[in-house]
Amino acid sequence: MKQVGCTPYARETQEMKDIYDGPILEIDVLSISFFTRLREIPAVMDFSVKVMPGEAVGLVGESGCGKSTVALGVMQDLGKNGRITGGTIKFKGRDLGQMSVEELRKIRGSEIAMIYQEPMASLNPAMKIGKQLMEVPMIHQGASEKEAYDRALQVVTDVKLPDPKRILDAYPHQLSGGQQQRIVIAMALMSEPALLILDEPTTALDVTVEASIVDLVKDLGRKYGTSMLFISHNLGLVLETCDRLCVMYSGEAVERGSIADVFDEMQHPYTQALFRSIPLPGADKNSRPLVAIPGNFPLPHERPPGCNFGPRCDYFEAGRCDQGTIRMRPVKGNDRHETRCLRFEEIDWNAPLAAAITKDKGMIGDVVLKMEDLKKYYEVSANALFGKSGETKVVKANETLSFEARESETLAIVGESGCGKSTFAKVLMGLETATAGQILLDNRNIESTPIERRDTKTIADVQMVFQNPFDTLNPSMTVGRQIIRALEIFGIGKTEADRRERMLQLLDLVKLPRAFADRMPRQLSGGQKQRVGIARAFAGDARIVVADEPVSALDVSVQAAVTDLLMEIQREKKTTLLFISHDLSIVRYLSDRVMVMYLGHVVELGTTDQVFSPPYHPYTEALLSAVPIADTRVKKKHIVLEGDIPSAMNPPPGCPFQTRCRWKSQVPGKLCETEVPPVRRMADGHQIKCHLSDAKFAEMEPVIEIAAE
Amino acid sequence: MEPLSWADILGRIFVQFTPVWIALVVVFAASIWFKRNLGLYGKLFDSTIGMIGFALVMFWVFTGIFGAMDMVVTHDALNQISVMKNKAPGTPVMGAGEDVYPYYLLGGDNLARDVFSRMVKGAWVVVQIAPLATLFAFMVGITLGLPAGFYGGRLDTLLSFLANLILAFPVILLFYLLVTPEIIATGIPNYMATCLFVFPLIFVAILLNSRYHTQPALRTPLLIGVLGVLGWLYLSLISEVGSKVQVIPGFLDLFDVPGGILVVFVSVVFVNSPTVFRIVRGLTMDIKTRDYVAAAQTRGEGPWYIMLWEILPNARGPLIVDFCLRIGYTTILLGTLGFFGLGLPPESPDWGTTINDGRRLLSIYLHPAIVPALSLLSLVLGLNLLADGLREESLKD
Repeated sequence: MKQVGCTPYARETQEMKDIYDGPILEIDVLSISFFTRLREIPAVMDFSVKVMPGEAVGLVGESGCGKSTVALGVMQDLGKNGRITGGTIKFKGRDLGQMSVEELRKIRGSEIAMIYQEPMASLNPAMKIGKQLMEVPMIHQGASEKEAYDRALQVVTDVKLPDPKRILDAYPHQLSGGQQQRIVIAMALMSEPALLILDEPTTALDVTVEASIVDLVKDLGRKYGTSMLFISHNLGLVLETCDRLCVMYSGEAVERGSIADVFDEMQHPYTQALFRSIPLPGADKNSRPLVAIPGNFPLPHERPPGCNFGPRCDYFEAGRCDQGTIRMRPVKGNDRHETRCLRFEEIDWNAPLAAAITKDKGMIGDVVLKMEDLKKYYEVSANALFGKSGETKVVKANETLSFEARESETLAIVGESGCGKSTFAKVLMGLETATAGQILLDNRNIESTPIERRDTKTIADVQMVFQNPFDTLNPSMTVGRQIIRALEIFGIGKTEADRRERMLQLLDLVKLPRAFADRMPRQLSGGQKQRVGIARAFAGDARIVVADEPVSALDVSVQAAVTDLLMEIQREKKTTLLFISHDLSIVRYLSDRVMVMYLGHVVELGTTDQVFSPPYHPYTEALLSAVPIADTRVKKKHIVLEGDIPSAMNPPPGCPFQTRCRWKSQVPGKLCETEVPPVRRMADGHQIKCHLSDAKFAEMEPVIEIAAE
Repeated sequence: MEPLSWADILGRIFVQFTPVWIALVVVFAASIWFKRNLGLYGKLFDSTIGMIGFALVMFWVFTGIFGAMDMVVTHDALNQISVMKNKAPGTPVMGAGEDVYPYYLLGGDNLARDVFSRMVKGAWVVVQIAPLATLFAFMVGITLGLPAGFYGGRLDTLLSFLANLILAFPVILLFYLLVTPEIIATGIPNYMATCLFVFPLIFVAILLNSRYHTQPALRTPLLIGVLGVLGWLYLSLISEVGSKVQVIPGFLDLFDVPGGILVVFVSVVFVNSPTVFRIVRGLTMDIKTRDYVAAAQTRGEGPWYIMLWEILPNARGPLIVDFCLRIGYTTILLGTLGFFGLGLPPESPDWGTTINDGRRLLSIYLHPAIVPALSLLSLVLGLNLLADGLREESLKD
């Protein structure tokens, strides 16, 4: 293996690394198809992109648009039923399709590296980190063990992991998700690749961790001069990381250009629709609602003739847009800006949004739910088998939670993983009982009534919408049956026919065709499943609905529609919505009040305006800065949190946030490390749990500013 | 008359199996025609391996059924024609009357019985007992495995320990113990049958009650009806005149299971259920973390509804595959039992017993043992291929 470095081939590639200065990656009219038993499924058609040295190109699109297939095509790893049916992929001027398996293996991992979505799945759980990292130079450059170790140590330091020596000696499961992803990045950088492909590298991570990873990738890209192909569904993230982007829809590139051109002078109806369906600052659920893209994403074998986006497009012209193949056409005046639209020169891109129907704000009514000093502790025994004798640890999942929620109000609960929002939901639903404090539903205490002892009315009143659309419905029961079951349990309807009628009405409510009643969940798309989940939650006319990240797993265009639906039902039924989310953009868009949680504590609570403008709790400030916003006009203050969220098993003493807080030095003495901060009332209904002095709070500047046009 | 050549023998066997061929063709034609509407079963016909397995299994099922109707067989399975003792395949039957089939197609065994007919009759024994015994084992395993996986904790520890205990005990030794006359005299096998066979009743009762408890008007008559019928079958099954367990008077007893078969049944169920228990427990632990289970909990469903209607149907894929494999193991187990002469009567045509009979003269006369051995092999192979096909297809979309 050590001889590899001396073979003529290796020398040649080494030279190539240095002298080549054309485009790093050049994809030309690429088509990729998958062949199944029934038919050929074209996944990517007529796709071209060029990545110059040191350039970061974003590939944006909804799930199923073929962006990951392009990445796999570049790696020449399409599996046994995928095949490139046309076009070429050139890496540094050499066609990857013409290379032998042997040559490809040399290039993969050394010249082209890929970073996947799930860090845990990319690391071998049975091998120490150091060993996995050292493999790369030992295989590709024939480095000695000593050299490889030094290189690994340096790269781990580069990706800003604390205590690199210890990390190299650890197994993957001993690291947190963020640390694992850093290791995956380190591994990709080990051989200083010319091209780095990142396939949704931060989707599985929390926002503050995401922000630091994105930061890291940008820095390293600059430092090593690596070209990047950044695949994401998040326009905000692409704005922050890339120089150019390519928007994909249903297997085709629809628009291509520099970030500024595409974001500010979009020339394709799909790009425009995409931007209109994401909650940017300024959008409001009542006065400026989001515009969902009508219709559904076409299945790969049911694409319409002509323009793929035609059936969903506002500018569709029959007889023109549905004829023949449509090619990419350059936009005059902009640098390498192209669009796949026949009418782009005719459309007035700056026309204001067709006056959206302004909806009346629902009247906020009486308090229906009240939490007072709710505490939930878990006892975890150190030894599972002989639990009673061993010492027990107490996990404080919720610490003195107090708030009230009113009729037809949306209260957003914001926080990252481990902040205790799911535990809180469980206690409210009665799946767990509270350790201390009280929950008052219509002035009745329910904190210590488990769900078996609650009466049907209480259960029907408090319902939940779940996060994962692919998991929320029982896969082996028809949609209608599942809703009818909820009706049966809530004692609604006297006969089977009554209940069926009511079930059909519920499908109407969530705007699904009645024919869906007899479908199986697998025949539905993610958004449709989520609608069924909502219908089921409202089966017993729920008055309080806990929505646990109901749209985070959906595509942006579908998110808008589902969010809108929730708002509409809320307006109609005067529901109290507890909206659990980590996505601050959507929270700002739809909630009336916001509660920010960190490690079981409520660190900030107030109306949406109060929380989104200074004074902030330091954690809120960091959170706001971390959320990527897809708007070039927005100027954000750059705050990157160090480290990871501490484990709830072993929280830091004093303020839970003190380990990552950038304001800590502003508090005299060791107050932050010793005492849990008091709850401070800043303004009417605005409270912050922090030691900072009023003067310091007054100094805070807004994190997000929209530059004047 | 001259002995038949091998080609003639095969030709005649092929003709004897005519009803089986017809049935197979009908089943395959219908299944392939409607395969898009038949779910997982239909998808089986997309996989060559699955189809071969299914064909082998159905071949023996139809052979068993038609054999029991005296259609495929050439002679009575117990009839001895003394001149035919240990005769080679294709030997003509000397001095046979007009109504007797003129050849022993696969020869005669050491008691001068027709090997071919015994093989066909033996298929019926296997086809009857193996799936039923496996089904009972599944009922027991599922009824105990679901709560163990769902609740976890002490209950799980206890049940898993018991399962391990049974699994740690040598199977053959257990069988020997169970069929020892002294043990039978104490009534232990009967009591075990009483315990094990009550599980399907419990299973069905909980299944229906958890589903329909919100509609008492429908639930009560349904439960009474179903449990009445099942209860009667159960009592007929376990109750035997003259044995330790005689609960209902003879005239109410619908059918009598010969003592030997009951013991075989009990032992097979007893040793198979712990494995099923473990599979179900593992699947339950996985599926109970899904959101639809949480959704059922938050609308106040009882634990048994969640286990039987939310979890179990979604565990069906691996369970169906295991069911096929397990019928195969049970078939082998039956063969083993027959081989040791346990349980089934000595004149029984089942494959294990016939292999054991043929074993003694194996060095001189190969055919009496090799025919049932090959039959056993092809059936188990078919079941394994079927399980493979099902697994492969259930993983695809």
